[in-house]
Amino acid sequence: MELIVALGLIVFKVALLIAMLLLLPLPLTWVERKIAGHMQQRMGPMRVGWHGLLQPVADGIKLLTKEDHIPAEADRFLFKLAPILALAPPFVVFVAIPFGESISVLGNEISLYVSDMNVALLFVFSVIGLEVYGVIFGGWAANSKYAVLGSLRTCAQMISYEIPMGFAVIGVVMLAQSMSLLDIVRAQADVWNIVYQPIGFLVFFIAGLAEAQRIPFDLAEAEGDLGAGFHTEYSGIRFAFFMVSEYVIMLLVSVLAVILFFGGWNGVLIPLPPLLWFALKVALFIYLFMWFRFTFPRYRYDQLMSIGWKVLLPLSMANIILTGIAFI
Amino acid sequence: MLRARDRIGTWIGWAFFADLASALALTFGYMFSRSVTMQYPDKEKWLPYSRYRGHHFLKRDDEGEIKCVACELCARICPCDCIEVVPYEDEKGNRHPIKFEIDTARCLFCGLCEDACPADAIALGQQYEFSSFSSRDLVIGRDDLLAKPGKAPTGGGVVAARLNTKKDVLVETNEPQGYNWWRNIRRT
Repeated sequence: MELIVALGLIVFKVALLIAMLLLLPLPLTWVERKIAGHMQQRMGPMRVGWHGLLQPVADGIKLLTKEDHIPAEADRFLFKLAPILALAPPFVVFVAIPFGESISVLGNEISLYVSDMNVALLFVFSVIGLEVYGVIFGGWAANSKYAVLGSLRTCAQMISYEIPMGFAVIGVVMLAQSMSLLDIVRAQADVWNIVYQPIGFLVFFIAGLAEAQRIPFDLAEAEGDLGAGFHTEYSGIRFAFFMVSEYVIMLLVSVLAVILFFGGWNGVLIPLPPLLWFALKVALFIYLFMWFRFTFPRYRYDQLMSIGWKVLLPLSMANIILTGIAFI
Repeated sequence: MLRARDRIGTWIGWAFFADLASALALTFGYMFSRSVTMQYPDKEKWLPYSRYRGHHFLKRDDEGEIKCVACELCARICPCDCIEVVPYEDEKGNRHPIKFEIDTARCLFCGLCEDACPADAIALGQQYEFSSFSSRDLVIGRDDLLAKPGKAPTGGGVVAARLNTKKDVLVETNEPQGYNWWRNIRRT
């Protein structure tokens, strides 16, 4: 009986997580367009619903009813597989992400995470690496030069930025003496990691921007020179899959930045519910992502590569060594 | 020495992303400045200045008779040959147009017909909303031209309006007491 209850709880949590992650891109697109508009002295969407609030719903209906077009010379199997491969890993990653300690519902303590892995950080980085497959399959299967160029760029970018990203969080692991995200947050109860690891955070954040393929590192879809990069040939619901995966990765990078460097659900000064603190910090990071998008131009491809290998990688190495010295 | 110090300052600025930070500050400032969007046709509408050359209209004199004497000077001077006038003589012996058609699909709104008119009968008003699904509907006859609104004495402002799907954009007030749109343009 207890086993069934525990299993049911896990299924419920996973379903809730999937629903949340699938629905979250809707308000996020609205917020992004509003921020874009106001930064350019426009108003953004205004006509569907109050201040355009229903605009994402209208867009969703439009995407669902659009023709699902597959190019004539495309590899049909890979073409259909790629959006799923791109969408699944960001969802799987969230299994290992804690949103708080626990809350009591009807007298029962319910933990706010699906699983507390002892190698959660490793799990996150290895699973998120799988997203490259969706991108490269999508670009290759479409049989279009823009898509291939975009997917090649994306692969090079994601692989070269995952290395400094991985190195940057080693400092955090050294401080917490654990790879479990829960323990990492608990270790930050007094002082947030950003105080000890400013360089680590910097490297992590810049690599995260590249990982989420946001401006200034959105060379994958560089609409100015590549059409739309690897998803040039996608339309309708398959395009929506790529779009949702992009937003979920942005959310993931924000959540990771908060958990690893900004104390997770630990608050300062103002006593707020831990979950609210967590949501506020994540929202701040998402705003930062959007703010960056409408401020900076795109880096050139060789600049992107040289930043990754010549600046971020040595910086993250130096960060590990400095942390080690500080420990001794 | 000064140049060396400048160089060091630049390097320190780069190390702390001073240039990126100033760009972020600029966009943040813009984010909380007024938007310049005119919410046409949902809430606002631009009322053009009275010098604006919009849809033509024909004038009447004090007795309510059409001013036009059908001299066809406007048809002559029209560079795109879009005015067609057919005269007739009424019972008092006055010359008037029985047919006065302007093909607004061809018209380029130069205003030469207004300048050429010896009887001050035709003018270009401020109306600019007359799109149509058929170019045939854009040939405007005499009675429609007489019914068009004349020149408003004021103009050059944003007025409250709302979208009316049946006809045109409904203007709720005629006075441009709304606001001066140019006020919102940031000049830096």
